[in-house]
Amino acid sequence: MRSKKTLFTVGFFVILSAVSFLIASEGSPPPASPHVAMTPELKEKYPIKAHHAKLSLRCTDCHEKQGDNPEDFKAIGDEGCLSCHKTKQYLADRLKFMDALHVNPHNSIHDGPKLYCDECHNEHKPSDNMCLSCHSNDVKIWMRKTP
Amino acid sequence: MKKLVLILKSKLVWIALGGALFGVLFSLGVYEGLHRTSDDRFCIVCHEMKPMVAAYRNDVHGGAGKSGIKVTCVTCHLPQDNVLGYIFTKAKNGVVEGAIHFFGNVDAIDWQANRVNKDHFVKDEGCIHCHVNYRDNANISEKGRSMHAHYASLKNTDQAVGCASCHAEVGHQGLRSMLNYYHPEYDYYKGKLDKYKDAVEKKLAEEMK
Repeated sequence: MRSKKTLFTVGFFVILSAVSFLIASEGSPPPASPHVAMTPELKEKYPIKAHHAKLSLRCTDCHEKQGDNPEDFKAIGDEGCLSCHKTKQYLADRLKFMDALHVNPHNSIHDGPKLYCDECHNEHKPSDNMCLSCHSNDVKIWMRKTP
Repeated sequence: MKKLVLILKSKLVWIALGGALFGVLFSLGVYEGLHRTSDDRFCIVCHEMKPMVAAYRNDVHGGAGKSGIKVTCVTCHLPQDNVLGYIFTKAKNGVVEGAIHFFGNVDAIDWQANRVNKDHFVKDEGCIHCHVNYRDNANISEKGRSMHAHYASLKNTDQAVGCASCHAEVGHQGLRSMLNYYHPEYDYYKGKLDKYKDAVEKKLAEEMK
């Protein structure tokens, strides 16, 4: 009789701890956007920048509300970039030291903090610093390669 | 009465009382020591910390916000999950950094390059100790909340990221510019940013009076 009771109690706790372990290991709620399964082919076709890869960003973190087929994804525009990177003014302020010599690419003497992000920055192909189209020799002494 | 006298006469009681007093005084000493070596006034004793402290004092975490709240350097830069780890790391850093300050060449340190290690020297538990509801605070943008859920889902995996992975200059507003005023990243700027550095030094001297 007694051993049955013990067995029952032990069983109860085993089940309870298994359930709580499952709940605890589940972690965060799943992302709201649809999931795109990452394949080596996709990775090669649409490589992302190292600083974004380091954060394990998924396709749909940027391509929000664009379905789950990468072939249908569209460029996210300034609004998409700035949903994480705050504002153009904020980005300009982070390079304030360059303003002293009027070479801040995010607050240039020609355009101020108003350029489209993708005039210089690309995600799935190498970026292309627009300053270079005129200042081809100087840019490298002012700033690093455009991320 | 007799019993009380007997107790007072026993050596053991005096040893116990003395031990307790010593323990309390020792703890108080350790507490005071830890406390007085925790804020920017202590950290700036080493001149190489000037750009970091100056940028911190321009940040909402360094008292520049509306409410005047300030977190100490150690809140974010020392592990907070247990008191022994905290004291051990503080002591170890004290010895290592003290040695570098006195015997190393601090002017040769490339602080800007070291910022790639920011996840290592910003302790997430310090951030989360205050920002408790970072996952569901309605004042955080939808994007922010979904990214914070992403952060939480990567925790304890080999892809784990830190708060500072995204919040690059958190706690030190304008850190990159400040570092450039002191040690420009490119030769082109050398000698041309000194007036900004002088202004920073003047402000710091004023504030640290």
